[in-house]
Amino acid sequence: MKMKIMNYHYKKEKGEKMKNCIEVKNLVKEYKEIRAIDDLTFEVKEGEILGLLGPNGSGKSTTINCILSLLKFSQGSIKIFGEKMDVNAYEIKRNIGVVFQDVSVFEELNVYDNIDYFCGLYIKDKQLRKTYIEDALHLVGLENYKKFYPKQLSGGLLRRLNIACGIAHKPKLIFLDEPTVAVDPQSRNNILDGIEKLRRFGATIVYTTHYMEEVEILCDRVIILDKGHIIASGTCDELKHLANIEEKVTVEGIELSQKTLSKIKEFKNIEEVNYEENILFITYKKGKNNLSELMDFLKEKKVTYNKIFSERPTLNDVFLELTGKELRD
Amino acid sequence: MTVFKAFLKVLNKNKAIVIMYTVILIFFAGFNMKTNDNNTTFTASKPDILIVCEDEITGITKNLIEYISKNSNIKEIENDEEKRNDALFYRDVNYIVYIPNDFRKQFLNHQNPEIKIKSTKDYQASLANMMLERFLNVANTYLAFDLAEEEMLNAINETLEQEVNVEVTSKLDTDSLTKVSSYYNFTNYCILAGAIYIICLILSSFKKESVLKRTTISSMEYQKYNRILLLSNSLFAFAMWFFYVLLSYILFKESMWTLHGAFYILNSFVFSFFALTLAFFLGNIISDKNALNGIINVIALGSSFLCGAFVPLEWLPKTVLNIAHILPSYYFIKSNEVLKTVEVFDFASLKPIYLNMMILLLFALAFIIASMIITNKKRKLA
Repeated sequence: MKMKIMNYHYKKEKGEKMKNCIEVKNLVKEYKEIRAIDDLTFEVKEGEILGLLGPNGSGKSTTINCILSLLKFSQGSIKIFGEKMDVNAYEIKRNIGVVFQDVSVFEELNVYDNIDYFCGLYIKDKQLRKTYIEDALHLVGLENYKKFYPKQLSGGLLRRLNIACGIAHKPKLIFLDEPTVAVDPQSRNNILDGIEKLRRFGATIVYTTHYMEEVEILCDRVIILDKGHIIASGTCDELKHLANIEEKVTVEGIELSQKTLSKIKEFKNIEEVNYEENILFITYKKGKNNLSELMDFLKEKKVTYNKIFSERPTLNDVFLELTGKELRD
Repeated sequence: MTVFKAFLKVLNKNKAIVIMYTVILIFFAGFNMKTNDNNTTFTASKPDILIVCEDEITGITKNLIEYISKNSNIKEIENDEEKRNDALFYRDVNYIVYIPNDFRKQFLNHQNPEIKIKSTKDYQASLANMMLERFLNVANTYLAFDLAEEEMLNAINETLEQEVNVEVTSKLDTDSLTKVSSYYNFTNYCILAGAIYIICLILSSFKKESVLKRTTISSMEYQKYNRILLLSNSLFAFAMWFFYVLLSYILFKESMWTLHGAFYILNSFVFSFFALTLAFFLGNIISDKNALNGIINVIALGSSFLCGAFVPLEWLPKTVLNIAHILPSYYFIKSNEVLKTVEVFDFASLKPIYLNMMILLLFALAFIIASMIITNKKRKLA
C-alpha cells in the first residue's frame, strides 16, 4: 500500500502546551579578542517563526552557525528538541533543514537531482523521497524546471531551488538565512508564500533577514541583535511600543508659511516636525486622532496638498530608538 | 547510494574532460613507447682492415694474413701512405696492419718482430686490435714449444679455428620486458595525472564550501560520507587502472600472460591505490578548479621526470636519484625496473619489489590519515 504524505507535520492539538524547540543559554562566541556573540539567551517555541533581525555583523549568522554546530562556541549551551546539540547529534540533525544565504547546489546536477541528493542525505526510502521531492518542487513552484541545470535558472529560481534543497526532507526545524537576498519581487513573493505554507504545516522556523517588511509579515516573534547582544525581543507589536512613537504622518505637495509651520509645531503629542521640499513629516509620540486634527487644521488654514498618509512605526524605528542608528547602517 | 549516485552524475557531466584527458595520455604513452623502442638484437660486424705486407707471404705471415682476411673485410688501397691516411680519416678502413720485412724469420728466431698498426680508434678498430692480439698470443704460445714450423702453424690454425659456444642460460625475453617496463613506467604519469585531475575536479563540487556546509548539518554521518566519497573515487581510479592494464594486454599480448605481467599489474594496482589517496588528499585541500593544471604539472609531471618515468633510471644523475628517493613514484618505477630482470620468482628475488610496494602503501596510509585530519578540521569552521 502506498501512502502519500502531503502535510509536512501535524500541528499541535489545541490546548497542548508549546514546547521549546531551541533553547540557547548564555551563548558566547569569541574570535580572539572580539566577542561576536555576547551572552545570548533565547528560546524558539515549536511551530513559531522567529525572526532574527540585525544589521551586518550583528551576529545573526554566527548564532545560527553555533546552533547548527558549524561553529565551536566559547561558552553556553544549546539544546534542540530538548537534546544537547553537537556535531555528532545526527538524530537531531535528521529533523533540521537549513537554507543558507549562498546558493548551495551542484552545478553538475539538474534541479530534480539536486533536490534528490540533499533529500537523500536524510531519507533513504527511494519511493518516499520521490514524493518528498515532488512536494518540495510544488512548494517552491519549480515543477516545470525539473530538468534544468542551475546555470539555466534565473537568480530567483536558483534561490527557490536552494530552499527546496534545504526543506525537501520535511524537517521540523528550518533555518532560513536571508533567503530573499537579491531576488526579484515575483520570486520573493513566491518564497514568502512557501514559508507561509511551511508554517501552516507546522514547521518551526528561524528566519534571518535585513528586510523588516518580511519579518513583519512572517514572524510570530522577533529578536533584534546588535553587536552580538539581544537588544529587544517580542512580537512585532510589542517591539513597536519600544519605539516610543505612535505614528508618522507625511504630507506631500504642501506649501507652508513659516507661521503655519510654527503653529503645527505647537500641536500636542508631537515628537518631531520636518519640512523639506514641499514635504511635511510629523512624528507623534501618542494620540489617537492626530491625522484628522492635522487635516482639520490645514483645511481651516486653507492649505492645499497632494497626498496625506499616516504610518505606524516600523522595526527600523525601534532599532533607531534603541541604538541610535538605522538597521541597514 | 545517494552520494555514489551523485558522484556518477558529476563524473558523467565531466565525461568529455575524462575522455579527452585519457586520449591525450594514451597518445603520450604511445609516443613514449615509440621513442623508447630500444633495439637489443645484435648482428655480427667485421672491421675494414688494410694489410700492408712487406714480408714474403709464407709461413706465419701467410697464416696471419689468412686469419685477418677470414675475420674482417680486407680493403685494398694504393701503395701511398697519404692515401692510406685519407682512408683512415674517411673511415674507409678502420685498421691498418704493417707486417714488416723478415717478419717470419724474426718470429721463428724468437726476435719478437714488431707489427705496426694505425687505427681509427673506434669500436671496429678495437675489434681488429683484439683479433691481432689473439693471433699473436696464440702464435707466441706455440713458438715457446719449439715445434717444427709446419706443426706449429697447424696448431695455431686449429686453436684459432676453435669457437667457443656461448649458451645463454637466461630465458628472459629482455626485449619485450623492457618494453612492458617502459610502458608501466609511463603509466606513472598517466595514473597520477588522471587521478589527480579527475578526482580533484569531482571533489571540488562535493567540497564546495556551501555544499559541504549543507552536508555537514545533514543526518548522514560525516565519516561515512567521506568513506563513500573515497570508495566512489576509488571506483574511478581502479577503472582507470584497469583501462591501462587492458591496454598493456593489447600492446604486449604474450608478455602480459606471464608471472612478470602479473607482477607489473600488481605493482601498478598498488600505485593506483596510492594515486587515489594522494588525489583524495589534494581534493580535500584544493577547491580552485583552475589551479588543477598547475598542480598536475608540479606533482605528476615533476615526479615522473625525477623518478625515471620518461627517461630510464640508469640515465639519471645521482643527485636526481637521491631526490627521487623521497617520491613515491620512484618505488613504483624501481619495482618495474627490477621486475624486468627477475628470472626466478622466489621471495629473495621479489623482496625489493615487495618492499617498494610496502613503501607505496605507507605513503597511501599517510595521505589517508592526512585527509581524515583535514576533513575533520573542515567540519568545524572555527
